[in-house]
Amino acid sequence: MMGEESLLVRKIDWGTVIDHIPAWRAGQVIRLLGIDHLVNNPEVSVIILNNVPSRKYGRKDIVKIYHYYISQGECDILSLIFPTTTINYIKDWRVEKVKPKIPDKIVGRVRCPEVTCITNKEREPVKPRFTVLKDYGVVQCDYCDSLLEFSKIPEYVIG
Amino acid sequence: MHGPSTLRGRDVVSSKDFTRPEIEQLFTLTTEMETRGDKYRDSLRGKKVALVFVEPSTRTFHSFFEATRALGGEVMPMSDPSMSSLAKGESLHDTVKMLEGYGADCIVLRHPCRGAAKYAAEVAEVPVINAGSGSQEHPTQSMIDLYTILRRRGSIDGVSIGALGDLRFSRTVPSLSYLASLFSGVTLYFMAPTTLQIKPEVELFLKSRNVKYMRIEDPSEIRKTLREIDVLYVTRLQKERFPDPSEYEKLRGSYVVNRELLSYAKIDVGVMHPLPRVDELSPEIDSTPNAWYFDQARYGLPLRMALLYMLLGGEE
Repeated sequence: MMGEESLLVRKIDWGTVIDHIPAWRAGQVIRLLGIDHLVNNPEVSVIILNNVPSRKYGRKDIVKIYHYYISQGECDILSLIFPTTTINYIKDWRVEKVKPKIPDKIVGRVRCPEVTCITNKEREPVKPRFTVLKDYGVVQCDYCDSLLEFSKIPEYVIG
Repeated sequence: MHGPSTLRGRDVVSSKDFTRPEIEQLFTLTTEMETRGDKYRDSLRGKKVALVFVEPSTRTFHSFFEATRALGGEVMPMSDPSMSSLAKGESLHDTVKMLEGYGADCIVLRHPCRGAAKYAAEVAEVPVINAGSGSQEHPTQSMIDLYTILRRRGSIDGVSIGALGDLRFSRTVPSLSYLASLFSGVTLYFMAPTTLQIKPEVELFLKSRNVKYMRIEDPSEIRKTLREIDVLYVTRLQKERFPDPSEYEKLRGSYVVNRELLSYAKIDVGVMHPLPRVDELSPEIDSTPNAWYFDQARYGLPLRMALLYMLLGGEE
């Protein structure tokens, strides 16, 4: 599954490789996945490859996460913003390719763009929740009905 | 009322949450409340309705207050936020829990935040009625609006409604649009400058329900559009919403409803307004048969009596 980039970093025995990310967007992918908690895990290494050659797309980014499986549910949000992205689970050097699915809901990952939404109010113990309306290319806040285009989701990622 | 209430124990958060038979049952009961409301005077005996108004209100607050009392219920009013724990920074979550702890059987909420009613309904175990959630919705007003159309016109099917004014920040026009979508052959005209046009989520909803609607953005088109409509729904064009005050002054005249403007409309056009009005609706209309807005305000009481009865007092 790897091309020239395999020369840049060593192969992975087990973990997750997020491939076919549009060039220079790996940083946004990391934010969208909300994997900051891995900072305290001494077993995990994350390698970001920016702007590597890709036969299909010309250039692409790759994120390699050694010794951690990101759940498919966590990756699903990527399908809205970067639909070319694929997830490769590596188990004993073997690759299992998965395409993120469009989720029905996004919970607690994205802020509502509407400043007067109750989910943006301090001290309210409420998680923002959106319904994905894939035919319209938007997500809709379950509380205040405001719409957010898929392409603008990275601007509102929590964290 | 014949048959059990279809709304018993339900929340009234959004006009999108109702079916046509439910609304028709509500309207039938509203007519009964108008004529034989006395029959229901003890139907909320022993029930407490909390009125939590975190924003100013006259008609909505008082009609819920009077509707509860007319049905024999007890009101727990919290209408001055500066005197309540909300002013001390208490969350809406805690306020709702506290009211339930004091025995509220229903919470009527007006709040400046969009989504507040939906959230309160998730927190509360008792029914929550949205009495205005920021610029999002005001479902009970839209029930009154459609009831007014039914009473004055005889039918809601096939009606053409022209909403005029500040549609972007209006909470009544979205609710009216959602509820009107339940009826067949309804056409909606949204008459407002581009910056104050109807919100995208309302358009998306109407598209998904195949409701015919049009945006009228050029003020010179308003007079032509008036010929097409059966009901003119007026909202206030608010000066503070305009980034450029000269733009407001320029447009203001096109959005004032007076006898001269109405001369371009159908002779029997109904003029509606959720009130309060400022200067967008001339008092010279008041004495004409086109003025439906005082009836509209009056129907607030029987409709809210019917709604409270269906939520709390209907047959088990």
